[in-house]
Amino acid sequence: MTADCDICITGSGAGASPVAYALAQAGYSVVVLEKGAWFTEPDFSKDELACCRRSVYTPDLQDEQHVIEELKDNGEWSTSPTSESGWDFWNGNCVGGSSNFMSGYFYRLKPDDFRLRSEYGPIAGANIVDWPISYADLEPYYTMVEQIVGISGRVVRHPHLEPRSTADFPHPPLQENIISQWIDAACDKLDYHSLPTPRAILSRPAHQRNSCSYSVFCGSYGCSTGAKSSARAALLNRAVETGRCKIHTHAKVNRLISNTKGKVIAAEYFDRQGQRQRVTAKVFVVACQAIETSRLLLSSPGPRHPDGLGNNHHQVGRNLLFSAGGSGQGTFAYKDLGAEQAEALRQRGPFVNRGLQDWYYVDDAKSGRFKGGTIDFLFRHPNAIARANNQKWDDNGDLIWGKPLKQNINRYFTEARYLRFEVFCDWLPTDTCNVELDSRVKDKWGTPVARVKVGFHPHDLKVGEYLATKARKVLTAMGAQDIYSNISGDPPPNLVAGGCRFGTDPEHAVLDSDCRVFGADNLFVSDGSFMPTGGSVPYTWTIYANAFRVADKIRAQLGGPVTS
Amino acid sequence: MNRRERSPCTTNNWRSFAAAFTAWQQRKVSRRSFLKAGGAAGVGLLLPVKLSAKSTPPSRKEPWLTIAAVQEQLFPSEKDSPGAADVHAAAYLERMMSLPRFPIEEKTFILQGPVWLNELAQQQFNQPFPALTSTQQEQLLQKVARSSAGENWLSLLLTYIFEAVLSAPAYGGNPEQVGWHWLQHNPGFPLPNSHNTFDVLVKK
Repeated sequence: MTADCDICITGSGAGASPVAYALAQAGYSVVVLEKGAWFTEPDFSKDELACCRRSVYTPDLQDEQHVIEELKDNGEWSTSPTSESGWDFWNGNCVGGSSNFMSGYFYRLKPDDFRLRSEYGPIAGANIVDWPISYADLEPYYTMVEQIVGISGRVVRHPHLEPRSTADFPHPPLQENIISQWIDAACDKLDYHSLPTPRAILSRPAHQRNSCSYSVFCGSYGCSTGAKSSARAALLNRAVETGRCKIHTHAKVNRLISNTKGKVIAAEYFDRQGQRQRVTAKVFVVACQAIETSRLLLSSPGPRHPDGLGNNHHQVGRNLLFSAGGSGQGTFAYKDLGAEQAEALRQRGPFVNRGLQDWYYVDDAKSGRFKGGTIDFLFRHPNAIARANNQKWDDNGDLIWGKPLKQNINRYFTEARYLRFEVFCDWLPTDTCNVELDSRVKDKWGTPVARVKVGFHPHDLKVGEYLATKARKVLTAMGAQDIYSNISGDPPPNLVAGGCRFGTDPEHAVLDSDCRVFGADNLFVSDGSFMPTGGSVPYTWTIYANAFRVADKIRAQLGGPVTS
Repeated sequence: MNRRERSPCTTNNWRSFAAAFTAWQQRKVSRRSFLKAGGAAGVGLLLPVKLSAKSTPPSRKEPWLTIAAVQEQLFPSEKDSPGAADVHAAAYLERMMSLPRFPIEEKTFILQGPVWLNELAQQQFNQPFPALTSTQQEQLLQKVARSSAGENWLSLLLTYIFEAVLSAPAYGGNPEQVGWHWLQHNPGFPLPNSHNTFDVLVKK
């Protein structure tokens, strides 16, 4: 029997596309099954309704949802379907996935992130382990992402800079607002090392893509120029150009079918008309973002996998990760600034692009030694409807309207600019953060939805507060007013990983060190699910890099040349 | 917006109070305090705004007469800033309700409001809401806002007024970008056109 293709990939985002790209380039035939539509640059505009209020890049929650189990302040676990709570855990269901809608703040992990257990020891209640690979194993692929996917930035020496095999980024940094200089000056005074934030945005044209047009609105919006290094713009378009990569849209994979040897033989999906279809392949790859990847494996029992693919030791869905930390803000009122400075601060196009990693590892007399994290500075998102809507409540939480409301909104928009910071630290893996199949709620195809338990470890809050204090010091030194921060255990749904740990022991991991599913030799997981611990940066660069690594492993398994 | 946080509006759960008129009359108990975004201090200097000369005539019949009257009370027109009527807020909302992705519970809840409000207006003043003076209307809205259901209804209408003020003109509000000019908001580019509004994209 001949297979329909060499490689069949479920999902088309940052975890899927490097595999599609690399294997199509190497001469293999690839079929990508994507649940959503195929939007391209002309579809994307600065439209707050499309992205954020009618959310057309993600499913209607009545059709497809999640069930969220969270710990309430009273200590009880409470369960609610997202169609009722409105708490949306989808991040971008279309060709290119949520990478279309990322902000593209790109940081590498650091060597200690690969051996958190060895370096920092166990923490009670947390399932901390070392990775089965080291930073050195992933470094070439981080570099590959800089060059192939496209990252702009500038390397600055600092105490926690990770080793690099190249001197600098292939693309120069994007233009910056005057406020970046103020951050630098404040950090100098405080003896902190302010760093230019690398961005997955082209600062000059490359790879047949335009450079950034400085129209802001990156996060949540699709990029109209192609400058944002989404999986679609950077990789899938080029994969399709080879003539060997086919993308089936509106193809919702329902289950993977495996044989009596445990190998996967077909992906079964619902097409746009709701008809069941099948694709056969030599190798199958799952990469539909952490929650859905675990859900698909759990939904795919077979003769050798009675509890779901790779789930004979009940590890699938466990140790789900988000990004711990939170955010904060300071206000810069134009009236407190000179006319020229105010005018420069008002400039909307140029970026802030500053981060701090001085406390990526902390070792101080007062707080002790622990793994810290990253602080990133950015302007408040310019979404106008959301910002106006936030002004309608007074300090007591009562609704205001009429002329007082209009005056509040006008002041909020015209009298100041708001500098925010975000804190990224490890979301420690625990037994209270995981994915299961819900026993009651189903999607529009009648299959069980993912039930996500979103417990967090209290240690995360301690680290988050430590970092927020440092960030607030920077805002204070800059002369910002109304400084506040909010560190919480609420999971940011767009910063998600884990659920299918890679490791060396099949009893405690789902994937081997090549991200191959234990017990299913021709099945790989190439999205963020593999991460046993998350590190203290946003995930996307690491997901891209690891997927290029997995592509090399697949190529080797298929007998092709490995060119890395 | 790298880290996506839980939005305060997710605490609105229409099902829990759209059920009955009695909820309207129950005094609100406690509401979750919303994350405050430190309001800027100082005196607001409203910049002159050129208002659109033409404006869409308000819908002729109920419930839209009442909704338009409430909207104008919530977001009044002033000489230097646009109000609900200036941005065609009623026509905008009516159109949005007919497009995909408008939550059915919200629709029911929004349309229920005028029935309840006019009952209250009849009880108190023997007249329908749109016929009342501005002072009487304000008095009723203050009363209504003391219940959770009433406050949430007004809050929901405000949300769609903000959409009419600040969404792209392709959707029928914000004529000649009057809302963006008022707030000196730079909307970025490109703006949506008839080929890529959300009701078109949702069918792709």
